[in-house]
Amino acid sequence: MKEPSLGEFEELVLLTVAAQHNEAYGVSILESLEEHLNKKINISAIHVALKRMEEKGFVKSRFGGITSDRGGRRKKFYVITALGKRVLDQQYALRTSIYRQIPKISFG
Amino acid sequence: MKTTPPKIALSFLRWFCREDYLEEVEGDLTEVFEKQHEQSPAKARWKFTWSVARYFRLEFIKSFKTYHSANIMDMLSHNLLVTYRSFKRNRTSFFINLIGLSTGLACTLLIYLWVTDELAMDQFHKKSDRLYQVMEHREQAGKLVTFQSTSGPTAKALAEEMPEVEYAVTATRPYKYILSHDNTDIKAIGRYVGKDFYALFSYPLLQGLPNQVLSDKSSIVISEALAISLFGTTENAVGKMVEWQHEKQYQVSGVFKNIPPHSSAQFDFLLSFEAYREGRSWVDEWGNTSPMTYALLKQGANVDQFNEKIADFIRDKTDGKVIHRTMFITPYAERYLHGKYENGVRTGGRITYVRLFSIIAVFTLIIACINFMNLSTARATRRFKEVGIRKAIGAGRKSLIVQYLGESVLLAFLSLLLAILLIWLALPRFNEITNKQLSLDLTPELTLVLLGITALTGLLAGSYPALYLSGFDPVAILKGKLNRSLGELWARQGLVVFQFTLSIILIVTVVVVYQQIEFVQTRNLGYDKDNTIYFRKEGKNLNSNGLETFLSELKRIPGVTAASSIGHDMTGHNSGTYRVIWEGRDPNDRTEFEAVSVNYDMIELLDIEIELGRTFSPDFASDSSGIIFNESAIEYMGLENPIGEVIELWYKKREIIGVVKDFHFESLHEEVKPLFFYLAPQRTWNVMAKMEEGRERETLDQIQAFYREFNPGFPFDYQFLDEDYKAQYEAEQRVSTLSRYFAGIAVLISCLGLFGLATFAAEKRLKEIGIRKILGAGSLRIVSLLTLDFTRMVLLSVVIALPVSYFIARHWLEGFAFRIELQWWFFAGAGLLALIIAWLTISIQTLKAAQTNPVQSLKDE
Repeated sequence: MKEPSLGEFEELVLLTVAAQHNEAYGVSILESLEEHLNKKINISAIHVALKRMEEKGFVKSRFGGITSDRGGRRKKFYVITALGKRVLDQQYALRTSIYRQIPKISFG
Repeated sequence: MKTTPPKIALSFLRWFCREDYLEEVEGDLTEVFEKQHEQSPAKARWKFTWSVARYFRLEFIKSFKTYHSANIMDMLSHNLLVTYRSFKRNRTSFFINLIGLSTGLACTLLIYLWVTDELAMDQFHKKSDRLYQVMEHREQAGKLVTFQSTSGPTAKALAEEMPEVEYAVTATRPYKYILSHDNTDIKAIGRYVGKDFYALFSYPLLQGLPNQVLSDKSSIVISEALAISLFGTTENAVGKMVEWQHEKQYQVSGVFKNIPPHSSAQFDFLLSFEAYREGRSWVDEWGNTSPMTYALLKQGANVDQFNEKIADFIRDKTDGKVIHRTMFITPYAERYLHGKYENGVRTGGRITYVRLFSIIAVFTLIIACINFMNLSTARATRRFKEVGIRKAIGAGRKSLIVQYLGESVLLAFLSLLLAILLIWLALPRFNEITNKQLSLDLTPELTLVLLGITALTGLLAGSYPALYLSGFDPVAILKGKLNRSLGELWARQGLVVFQFTLSIILIVTVVVVYQQIEFVQTRNLGYDKDNTIYFRKEGKNLNSNGLETFLSELKRIPGVTAASSIGHDMTGHNSGTYRVIWEGRDPNDRTEFEAVSVNYDMIELLDIEIELGRTFSPDFASDSSGIIFNESAIEYMGLENPIGEVIELWYKKREIIGVVKDFHFESLHEEVKPLFFYLAPQRTWNVMAKMEEGRERETLDQIQAFYREFNPGFPFDYQFLDEDYKAQYEAEQRVSTLSRYFAGIAVLISCLGLFGLATFAAEKRLKEIGIRKILGAGSLRIVSLLTLDFTRMVLLSVVIALPVSYFIARHWLEGFAFRIELQWWFFAGAGLLALIIAWLTISIQTLKAAQTNPVQSLKDE
């Protein structure tokens, strides 16, 4: 079976989820991405990506505890799954292998 | 300070977002919002809203459909089952509600039919917005009286001289004539109209061209129905000849569709006004008035300015001679509903009844609805446990509301079926009373209205019980602790008081109207109207020298006690003149005297009492220049010794030979006005014959046989004088009948309300009654205890209703110049009647309560 594909933005979100191991939730992902990419992102985009990846089985989620912040709403934390990690690895491997084929030419 | 995100956006999000995503999304959004709020509150709010909008996509929207569908059918069938059970268990209250609501609905729908019909009157003319009737205010005895009649040349002058007028036509009033074709004689209603008639009015022509059918003065345009009765078919009617009054031949130039019932003017054929002018030179004079004038204004013409322009039109036309007539125009379509003028100001007309009945319709429905609420909430005690258990096992408030609203809407639709049946039964009678041709055609529009009104009724009636029942705290219900507020009781009692007030007012109205009608119909009018018939003096044989022969032959018929002819019909103003000149008259006085042409013996036939002098007699040759006044006229002229005085009438001197006592030639709404008789057999137009009492039937047959022989070709179309007299009070009769029905309905509905309250009270005091009985109170004591409360309420409504009904009755009676005195027993009787009805209604409940075994009511808890 062909494995589900991973979009560019999804890949970024998945990377962040992996990077923030066990502590990743909507807003933290948003802030980290905004910092790295240096541009504004709407929170809804993050949620869309997360939901899609959850459906594909790349991430799984759990609720955090109740706090007085966020209007009393619980956070939903995301963790990367084994499948997610494998897809990420494959993606990374693919890119690196192609990248390596670039002849050493000076672009100077 | 705690910041909260925009409420609207948030509730929108909560409404559409999938429940399993909602918490996360909302939390993250709020967190972002809070962080941003520290920098820029306005931006944060805007951003929040925008973000919410971005979630509005398929992945995040909850599926409304699949989520509910499994449930909704089950719930619906369950609700229906519960509804059915509750109807079955409370059979009495179910039937009371059903009767109350269906009567209310039937009443409202009947009135709706009538009101829409009234409002549609004369609205069908295509140029209705520019179509006007020309009318005149005339100064008479210091007051302005408004007339529809105008001078013959008005239309032509307006069309030629006024740039605002596109077309103007003259038309005579509808009048009955005989039309004949091949030995078929038919009485039909005809009008003489100007040639542009069809440019103003939209009566579709089946044959003939609108601008040509009336251009020839020997043309006649007939209705479809008339064509069929004359020729047997409408085909090829054009070109055929029709004989008019056995005198003149007219050629059919067109056939029009039968006049719709929504036209206030009803007629069977039209003739050219040019034909009317022939031999009637008075029509061309500005000093005379008779026909009506209609005008079609050009688009955008200003009516107020136009009215100012034509105010002095008649004065200008008569070189300042006629100064008491002010011309004005009024929209033709409004004329039907707004036909009443008082001293030159429009004061209403039929619109008053339309408004009154619309209010009654709304009230009946509201009262029926409130009764329903009353009874349902009163019955609620029985359903407390049901509500409690439903709530305890997890029914939301919403589903309870749906359940109870569903129940009332279902009941409303059942009532609608019953109401339609009621309307169907009542419609023929209702049509008879209102003189209409209403029908319950289920057009899409009417169906929509029916369903709309019914659904609204159901929701309105069910809203309070639904909210009331669903609002209980389940714990309190199941524990049996429930306090109902005092305000609720007040509302309920207030309603009963209101209903009874209304009923009493209606009962008084019925009594007063009935008494006045009785009074009017039995009052001595100053002349004898019994056993007297009259018919038109028409045809060649009667009009020329034949009249005297006819009358003397008529008198010879056994059973005929007297016969004569008169130029009046004794039921209202016929023709008047202000050209009566006596010594000392104010030259500007334009007060009209009723002018009545009579033959010999007429005053004796009507048995009008002679006050002074004598009546006309063939023994005095000079009587053709004599005149007889009534008392009012003598008083108005201020003559001390009238007999022998000479006055001038129509520029000729006449001697007063007699004075008659006042008699009512107009309806009793009016004071007796000045009147005179003059001897002019050739100008009379009605033949009257008085018959011996008890022999009317056979005498009539003989008169008819004689008439046929004497006046061939003219159907014998007679009327009884006393029947015509009654017809004058048709409007009052209508009010009388309708108020009787409405009073009945009001009483019925009030009783339903009272019954509901009595049930409620008895149930609420069940324990109290039980304890009282144990302590030794007798049944009578209990009954009087329960009755006292209601007696108080009904007495309160009597106190409120009597002054109001007194005021209304007096106001209504003021419309009559001759009226009954209001008696105290009208009011006392109505109050007593209301009280007795109330007692009867509650007696069932109170007796039941009083006879309950106290053990039954006290064994619980």
